[in-house]
Amino acid sequence: MNQADPQGPSRLDPDPMPRRDFLGLASLWAAGSTLLFAAVGSLRLPKAAVLSSPSRKFKATLPENLAEGTAFVPPGRSVALFRDKQGVYAISTLCTHLGCIVKPSATGFDCPCHGSKFGPDGKVIRGPAPAALPWHKVSVDGGVCVVDEETIVPPGTKV
Amino acid sequence: MIATPPPVDKRPALQRFLSNLRGAPRALRDTALRGGKPNTDRTRSTFVFGNVFLHLHPVRTHRWSLRWATTLGLGIASLASFLLTLITGVLLMFYYKPHVEVAYDSIKDIAFVVPTGNLIRNIHRWAANVMVVTVILHMARAFYTAAYRAPREFNWLIGMGLLVVTLGLSFTGYLLPWDQLAYWAITIGANIAQSPREITDALGVTESFDPGGLQKLLLLGSDQVGEEALIRFYLLHVMILPLVLLGLLSVHFWRIRKDGGLVRPKDADARLGPVRAADYPVFTEAPRKTYQLAAVVRGTSGAVGRAPENTVPSMPHLFYAELAVTMLTIAVCVALAMWSDAPLKELANPQVPENPAKAPWYFLGLQELVAYSAFMGGVGIPAIVLLGLGLIPYLDRETEGTGEWFGGRAGKRIVLQALFVGFGAALVIEYFAIRYGWLREWFPNIAQLWITFVNPGTVLTLIYAAYSMWLVKRHDSTRAGALGLFTCFLCGFVFLTVIGTHFRGPNWDFYWSPADWPGH
Amino acid sequence: MQANKHLLLWSSLVALGLLVSAAVQENVYKDWRVLQASAAEAPGSPGPIGIHLRQVVVPTLHAADRCVTCHVGMAAGEPVVAGDPVLRPHPVVGHDPTVMGCTACHGGQGRATEKDAAHGDVHFWPQPMIPRRYADAGCGGCHTHLAVPTLTSLDAGQAALERNDCLACHKLDGRGGTLRPLGAGGMEGPDLSFVGARGFPADWYEKHLAARERAADPASPWTSSFGKIETEERGSIEELLSSRVGAPQLVRAKATFNSLGCRGCHKVAGVGGDDGPDLTLIGARDPGRIDFSRVKGRHDLATWLAEHFRNPAGIVPGSAMPILGLDEEQIDLLVRYMLSLRRTDAPEAWWPKDRVRAERLGEREFGEDGATLYGSFCAACHGPAGEGMRYPGMPAFPAIGNPDFLAVASDEFLTTNIAHGRPGRRMAAWGATENGLRPGEIAAIVAHLRTQSGVTREPDERPARWARTDAAAGGALYSAHCAQCHGDKGQGGEGPALANGALLGAASDTFLYETIRRGRRGTTMTGFSQPSTVRPALDEAEIESIVAFLRTWEKQP
Repeated sequence: MNQADPQGPSRLDPDPMPRRDFLGLASLWAAGSTLLFAAVGSLRLPKAAVLSSPSRKFKATLPENLAEGTAFVPPGRSVALFRDKQGVYAISTLCTHLGCIVKPSATGFDCPCHGSKFGPDGKVIRGPAPAALPWHKVSVDGGVCVVDEETIVPPGTKV
Repeated sequence: MIATPPPVDKRPALQRFLSNLRGAPRALRDTALRGGKPNTDRTRSTFVFGNVFLHLHPVRTHRWSLRWATTLGLGIASLASFLLTLITGVLLMFYYKPHVEVAYDSIKDIAFVVPTGNLIRNIHRWAANVMVVTVILHMARAFYTAAYRAPREFNWLIGMGLLVVTLGLSFTGYLLPWDQLAYWAITIGANIAQSPREITDALGVTESFDPGGLQKLLLLGSDQVGEEALIRFYLLHVMILPLVLLGLLSVHFWRIRKDGGLVRPKDADARLGPVRAADYPVFTEAPRKTYQLAAVVRGTSGAVGRAPENTVPSMPHLFYAELAVTMLTIAVCVALAMWSDAPLKELANPQVPENPAKAPWYFLGLQELVAYSAFMGGVGIPAIVLLGLGLIPYLDRETEGTGEWFGGRAGKRIVLQALFVGFGAALVIEYFAIRYGWLREWFPNIAQLWITFVNPGTVLTLIYAAYSMWLVKRHDSTRAGALGLFTCFLCGFVFLTVIGTHFRGPNWDFYWSPADWPGH
Repeated sequence: MQANKHLLLWSSLVALGLLVSAAVQENVYKDWRVLQASAAEAPGSPGPIGIHLRQVVVPTLHAADRCVTCHVGMAAGEPVVAGDPVLRPHPVVGHDPTVMGCTACHGGQGRATEKDAAHGDVHFWPQPMIPRRYADAGCGGCHTHLAVPTLTSLDAGQAALERNDCLACHKLDGRGGTLRPLGAGGMEGPDLSFVGARGFPADWYEKHLAARERAADPASPWTSSFGKIETEERGSIEELLSSRVGAPQLVRAKATFNSLGCRGCHKVAGVGGDDGPDLTLIGARDPGRIDFSRVKGRHDLATWLAEHFRNPAGIVPGSAMPILGLDEEQIDLLVRYMLSLRRTDAPEAWWPKDRVRAERLGEREFGEDGATLYGSFCAACHGPAGEGMRYPGMPAFPAIGNPDFLAVASDEFLTTNIAHGRPGRRMAAWGATENGLRPGEIAAIVAHLRTQSGVTREPDERPARWARTDAAAGGALYSAHCAQCHGDKGQGGEGPALANGALLGAASDTFLYETIRRGRRGTTMTGFSQPSTVRPALDEAEIESIVAFLRTWEKQP
């Protein structure tokens, strides 16, 4: 733009400042990087280190008379626990589509929100769900199951 | 600044499209920073008034304003600490929950598990304290350089409003952690708000006219500090007061420009001496251009008819100064934050009063006065002081010594003398009251009104007032009286604050050191 | 401008340096990070563990306990390092720590993630952790109302268990259980440490007998260790077992508290005397508000309590509590019980049955048998067996278990005294206040006094008032023989105050007469029908005249 100025240099445009201003540049860079570092640091704040919800690893006791293929959902949890001859397994009840809670049904799981249906092993049968319901890690200690909602295991893992 | 239309590009559209796409990043930068690199006077000016955040600044700044001794950077330091509290405060709002059941726990979470939470909270706390200090010092600077004189009288009043809002912000933030410190400090504060009842009770009109009770009710939303108070203080702290502060701040800055920049002595140019090479470039010649706007500009403040002499471009001179003070403030706040954690006592317990229950430190001077009379200490004397400060620019219509620290050598002597008088009077009265007690100890049945109007606080105020009247007469100058009065009040504030902070223990008894408190 | 540039440069660099060091401190050198990183090298470690904050969230208790950030092995589904002082798993207890959280039982500051702050050893945290050796005091947060047997029953039950060799096969409170009932490799005998909470079959003895019949191997423990148990011993064993809830020391501590008569002066949960401070929440006292200036040793509540039991007035100047002469074991048990007097802020749905029954249905949290009641309310002043007590600076407390006393005192007299007390004296009116005793409980105490001493009242056919002789003569005799101990106006001194409307109203002439005549053996009250070295014997008429004289005080307002 300056080159396009038809009036040419004027009293208002004295010689440019000397450009080799090491001190000025260093100070500006120092200030800039300090502010940037502070900004990046404080951006970590909104990402909570611990969640205020109960631990995603929890213990559950299956009812004695739980029939094969019948889901047991521990109160307040979004995991269905099953027991059959091969052992105990846990399938998430969070729809892989948009996170509604699926309901165990005769044919597997039904999602009430957008009509996804899942088979008894969590495979998508119909509807918009993009993936099968994940299986969670279960370990059995005596009569108590420890369910780890943070760990996904291959479907068919029963203990 | 007249741009010629670029020559018509005759290339095929697809080539133009690709060439524009290549040039997009550069074009983006050019459009964001209009005017190109700020390396000539013209582009520097564009840099300032082409930017919404900078255009409150003048394009050129007088060299006097850039001297460290002119302002000590206190105004910018206040602003910087305010911005720090603003940013850290917004961050803290991610986790803080304003409800009595969980407020304390959420502060504990911030201190222990929120990433950077403890540091951010400490910075917030320290920046708030730094802000209170710098605002008070900034006010003292403005006073001692007589910057309140015409045409800046109104900006002095705006500044007082900013002081009050700053104290209000600090005070409302005090309750939010909902710990013992907070609960009892606010309980005391709310009862100070109620203290006009001391007068209305004594007059027997509280039944029909109860401004004190109304103030407390409005503040707490209830008759005691509880959930309603917490939500009100939260609202005041994060919404109402910051908005008021930002509003006042805009007026404050805008008026600095409208009132002709920072105050400077008449002979500033002569005293600045010749231009140093580092201050390049400086206007020294007379303008050849006609300032057409001059017709609508009133007064002599515009640079009309004479050269804008001894000014340097704000970009970069002023901005280096401002940025430097900002970074210094940040460094100080971060250092303080890492040196000492913000206090967090036990969960608030309405059944177990803190002893002593102390207000925030900047109110401890008032709390010391409140110990004698709640009304005078909490409402009367602060009102008198604010009224006196507000009247200063309208009483002092002199012009001698404007823009100069203490207005010259005579002023310095007055201030020095006033320092002795201010501290001396406060010391004598406090010593007397602590050693021998006050009216109630001598005349147990004395009427409350006597104590309300005759107590160490009012006596001290009277002494200061009488001293300044004497100065007015002695030096035949209102300014002399004002210097004396302001210095005395500052001394009284500092002295009483130190007494309240360090020398008062359980039951507000006098102790030489907190280590002597019983049960500790 | 150069100066401003320098200021900008150096301020920025200082701020940057500070921020970087803060970031390093937070992201590398936090204690828990270092600890979790060290887990990989610990002996017996399953390998590196994920380095992040862990917590047990219990929404019902408003708890977010980050203790498991360091005590990783105590969180659900986390790797454990057995034997490591920090990373080991939680011992098996009645409540699962991954469900209940940590602070509900242990105290401390669950939200903190630094050792001192988390353990509560910091200023401004009113609930530091209960010291580990008193850990079961934490049960008191919810189970303060557990009813426990008396010390005597506990000892009897323990003795019966030992004598019958039950611990050969059964584990109890961490002891025993070495033998397998069906020989090596067979099933263990069930652990009895929690049977009080989980219950045991009423026909356990019959089942044992049947199993013994079935046992084929003559050398098996069934024949070598199990034998016939007497009915009475079975009762003691059952009483002990029903108190086995996993906190044997706490049960013993409460039984000790119930035997020392503390409630005579102190209230717990609204029941007890008014002379001393209410102890209901003593275990939750904020150490920051305790005066430790006279306490030697650690400045924590447990030390304060122990020192205080050793010498109350030495710790709290002006305290009216006498030195009780407790032994160290009793002091330790009392400290444990005091620490258990606390309240976890749990919703009512989580309350244990004992607490619901006590706080909502008005049941007692102590046994309602005479022995427990006497031990809880009376023993401190009247002595564990009613032998009376003397504390320095206080008048002697009457020996109400004295056979001479019980022989002449009617049950109504005892009941009236307990129920209405002695106005103006230390004896409170236990039947008259909310925090006192119920009629059935007073009757149980009277019955306990009788069974303990084995003395019944001698039959007395005379009316309540029969003394008719000259009161003036009695007055002279009183001044000569009684005033020295009972005061010249009957105001009391070494002996009880006789000019007391409540006493004179409840006492029959026979009671007064016989007391003067025979005295109370074992106390300073001698029998006046017998001569002593300093005075002749009084005859019947003289004693009757003293009774008549005493009656004149009854008529005074």
